[in-house]
Amino acid sequence: MPFNQKPQKFNAKINSVTIGSGDKTVTIGGDSTFPFYTFDAPSENCPKIGVEISDMGLEGVSEGIKAYYDGASTMADIAKKAAAMEGADFVALILEGGDPNGENKSIDELIAVVKEVADAVDCPLVVEGCKNVEKDAELLPKVAEVLQGRNALILSEKEENYKAIGAAAGLAYNQIVGAESAVDINLAKQLNVVTTQLGVDPKKIVMNIGSAAAGYGYEYVVSTMDRIKGAALGQNDNMLQMPIITPVSAETWGVKEATASEADMPEWGPQDERGIDMEIMTAAADLAAGSDAVILRHPESVKTISKMIKALV
Amino acid sequence: MAKFVVIGERLSTTAPAVNKAFMERDPEPIIKRAKQQLDAGATYLDVNIGPAENDGEDLMKWAVQLLQSEFDNVPLALDTTNKKAIEAGISVYNRSKGKPIVNSADAGDRISNIDLAAANDAIVIALCSSGMIASDNDERMMHCQNMLERGLGLGMEAEDLWFDPLFVVVKGMQEKQMEVLEAIKMFSDMGLNSTGGLSNNSNGMPKTIRPIMDSALVAMAMMQGLTSAIVNPNDLRLMETIKSCDVFKGNTLYADSYLEI
Repeated sequence: MPFNQKPQKFNAKINSVTIGSGDKTVTIGGDSTFPFYTFDAPSENCPKIGVEISDMGLEGVSEGIKAYYDGASTMADIAKKAAAMEGADFVALILEGGDPNGENKSIDELIAVVKEVADAVDCPLVVEGCKNVEKDAELLPKVAEVLQGRNALILSEKEENYKAIGAAAGLAYNQIVGAESAVDINLAKQLNVVTTQLGVDPKKIVMNIGSAAAGYGYEYVVSTMDRIKGAALGQNDNMLQMPIITPVSAETWGVKEATASEADMPEWGPQDERGIDMEIMTAAADLAAGSDAVILRHPESVKTISKMIKALV
Repeated sequence: MAKFVVIGERLSTTAPAVNKAFMERDPEPIIKRAKQQLDAGATYLDVNIGPAENDGEDLMKWAVQLLQSEFDNVPLALDTTNKKAIEAGISVYNRSKGKPIVNSADAGDRISNIDLAAANDAIVIALCSSGMIASDNDERMMHCQNMLERGLGLGMEAEDLWFDPLFVVVKGMQEKQMEVLEAIKMFSDMGLNSTGGLSNNSNGMPKTIRPIMDSALVAMAMMQGLTSAIVNPNDLRLMETIKSCDVFKGNTLYADSYLEI
């Protein structure tokens, strides 16, 4: 019997969300198929890649990443090099130095970094908070304020601080709101509901549903993304049709495969390569499971994932 | 599975205020009731213009255009015994949010409403009766089969025939209640969609009792596989029950605010 291809058609689609302003914008989401199912329908916007830089500069980054940024002495220099990376679609600035349990930089200090980066590059911007919910509730509204007109994505609004961040980013300063949950599908939906109830346009919300490095409880990430896409498309659930962005590097560069030195683990081979492998494997799996964008650090990872996307779409 | 489809029943000539508004072409009371139902979670709105023998075509067109322009092409069930009025309604109907529903055909005098639905790519509510309420499920399923075959023969998709077992009133037909529920299970086992005027079960009961009976019955009927009902969406208890059953059935993903969406 001849093979009859039957496309799986959904009367629903993931929202298209455009980040950035002027000529330099990037659009994520928009598909009405499962990830890379281009045999069912063409992909409207292929998945996008962000390059993560930190307010901590190059402190603690791997040798390979350091080498790429060689000669960059200011945040402005680093941001320019990140934006110029082969395969990069946007820059993601993580304000990890704000963590009260870490460097505990002041909000003024961090805002100065945000301004420096924003002035240095005109590409679409994503700003990630310091992960402390109280600090982020103060910090991210200010970030949204100084980035007025940039149509930036502000990561992340959480259950504990959605009112402050959602209202500032989504209503007062007209940015894109990143709603973050931790691999909890019901909470992912709930955050979208309450953010929308604040008055934020559902088409200005992007989800970060949480991540893990491959091998570290990662199956939960896959099943969560899978079920979100299934409900968004199969049940036309408009409270789950927000595109998904996944910060990959913050997870993968912290696990032992990436942090153990070659001196300690000679049988594992070069440290930088292991870090790249973890980043690429995790990002590829995130994209295959439903992420519409990933955030990476290493130029080699960015290049490789970009090639993978082009080959599959 | 798709979410349970609530068809709001409150735009009906049996309500004097609505009847008056239809007669006088007064948009305000119609829009007000439509909005209340949509805000409460109705997917479809039933537009019952009664027999409307004189000006049915004009009235149905007016109602369809009024509601669809006011509420972003809200999908509608066109409810009248006047076939020409249904056709007139469909002629101005925008189907971007869902096909029109022809309400209704039966296996007797009104079987040609299936033809009307088939000719207009509409959904049809198919009452499993012929004049009188079916005496048992053998008869109900015979009517179901006849109407299904007729629809399929005319090129309809099975999913566009929504079978109505005819909900019967508890006060007077209490012993028939389980039979109706069993019929729904049979539709469901055949993969068919179903609907009906569920609140008929509580006709004649005190106002305070009706929401309780309706909620209990909708939960039992959804367990049996009922996919839609023509009900009053402004009955909060009933809507809360439907939304909760949708969660249990996996028709929608749970979130703490599920009752608000």
